[in-house]
Amino acid sequence: MSTTVPVPALETQAPPAVSASSFERRARWFPWLLFGPTVLYLLVMSIFPLIYSLYISLFDYTPGINQTFVGFDNYGALLSDPVFWRKAGVTLQITVAAVVIELGLGLLCAMTLNRRLPGIGGLRLIIYLPMMLSPLVVGYFWSFMLDGSFGVINHLLSFVGVPAQQWTIDLTLAKASIVLVETWMWTPFVILILLAGLQSVPPALYEAATLDRASGWMQFRRITLPYLKTPILLALLFRTIDTFKIFDVPFIVTKGGPGDETETLAFFAFREGFQFSAIGRGAAVAWLIVIVINVLATILIRMLTRPRAQAQRVLDEEVAVA
Amino acid sequence: MNASSATVSRTLVGRVLWYLPVGLIVLFFAFPLIWMVMTALKQPVDVFSSPPKFVFAPTLDNYKRVLSSDYMGTVGNSIVVAVVSAAFSIVLGTLTAYGFSRYTLRGQDNLLFWILSLRMLPVIAVIFPYFLLFQRIGLTDTLLALMLVYSIFNISFTVWLLKGFFDEVPREMEEAAKMDGYGPWGVFQRVALPLVVPGIATAAVFNIVQSVNEFLLAFVLTQREATTAPVALLNFLTPLGLDWGGISAASTMLVLPVAVFAVLVRKHLIRGMSFGQLE
Repeated sequence: MSTTVPVPALETQAPPAVSASSFERRARWFPWLLFGPTVLYLLVMSIFPLIYSLYISLFDYTPGINQTFVGFDNYGALLSDPVFWRKAGVTLQITVAAVVIELGLGLLCAMTLNRRLPGIGGLRLIIYLPMMLSPLVVGYFWSFMLDGSFGVINHLLSFVGVPAQQWTIDLTLAKASIVLVETWMWTPFVILILLAGLQSVPPALYEAATLDRASGWMQFRRITLPYLKTPILLALLFRTIDTFKIFDVPFIVTKGGPGDETETLAFFAFREGFQFSAIGRGAAVAWLIVIVINVLATILIRMLTRPRAQAQRVLDEEVAVA
Repeated sequence: MNASSATVSRTLVGRVLWYLPVGLIVLFFAFPLIWMVMTALKQPVDVFSSPPKFVFAPTLDNYKRVLSSDYMGTVGNSIVVAVVSAAFSIVLGTLTAYGFSRYTLRGQDNLLFWILSLRMLPVIAVIFPYFLLFQRIGLTDTLLALMLVYSIFNISFTVWLLKGFFDEVPREMEEAAKMDGYGPWGVFQRVALPLVVPGIATAAVFNIVQSVNEFLLAFVLTQREATTAPVALLNFLTPLGLDWGGISAASTMLVLPVAVFAVLVRKHLIRGMSFGQLE
């Protein structure tokens, strides 16, 4: 991926001044040991395959049968193919829906859980479990719970008068099922990050605001929200990028169906490459995903670093004045 | 007397009222896991009963069946891949994290960002080249292939997590060790390293969990010998369809260690999940 994006403010230190010159001498080779193996490994194992993938994407490539150089034809064919755009739309819909719900629900849950109650630590830990599980296991088990004939979800919903649904095969509900499973799995991540933000608010601020008779809404907007800005952007960054490349959950819950209603871009690349043996085309789809993720990450990281950079500027000016 | 009992009851009522929404949230996130354990303990008849049964005669048949099946071998594969990749990634990642924390390098920020960006790299972007390359050099369906690829993601994670831990090690302690005549390696190994052991433990847990959970690469790069547990879950079939009792029992075997790990690293959960960006 690109290396031209600004990095969050990092304090870098000059090597400490040392008296012993033997230390200096021995320190000269030391950074090579620290950085060398990792950089070498990652170059060989990640940059090389990425370039090789780009190379493959320029071929009409079926292993053992056909290998014809076609230039950027795979990309051209994809970008002018409504099927490709439909999968892009599916991916976008799932991503937006899941991320919006995760952030909204996550904020609500985090504020509810931000109380000193006996046993709250243990309860929070239970909530954090889903995000640590295998997406395949999560998707698999949810597809069992969502089953139309013996699933427990339909049974539970029948108590509140909702008629039985064919969750994973219904034309409109299939996408909702994917979003539901994603939301169950990743809202806890948002809760975890936002709770950290909420707990960083100095309680004295709320006390002062209460003395000033600021309303609950005002306190939320003027005190809580500013402290949540970085955590929210961070959650947005991680969740948007992770959801955009989603594969496991649709693969196991809906198998991309009904039809290709829930076939995401990553799933599409997988099917092109391995089920239809069009590896060149699959690699081209994968590269388009990488490009989109790169753009998304750049925008979100800019948003994330801008407030910090601004704060730094203000600080610098103050120092300059002083 | 009256007034004080009124406050007690008010706080009591207040507490109960606070537990209600908290309880609902916990129930929403815990229910699927509870249902998984219940399903794992059900007879086949009860698994598919409609309406689903909340009260049933528990049995360990599902576990007996899973324990005597090929699944345990794939669990072994998962563990070997995860542990070896974690160990390798921690050796490389710890060195580099220390480097980023202590030394300045031209283009350091770009290097750090590149390493971070590998965590966002979609698996699908490297799966085609790896599929073809491993086939060519005979690494398809080997544990080594999975270890090699998982280490990319694990190293990236370890560098970022441990850089934060190294940044917190007081510089004065290292200065003192230098005065005592330790070389750079001695300072690193005797002063800095012991102080980041909690970070290394956290990195190990996250690396292992991450590798055990991975599906797509394992699904594509293995066929039989090197199959990992999540891939093997797809093979729980009966003549009548999916063996949900067996799948549930097998899944709990993956969920339980994760739950134990979550308890062990609870203090550093936020650092791990936010890639060392939050505390």
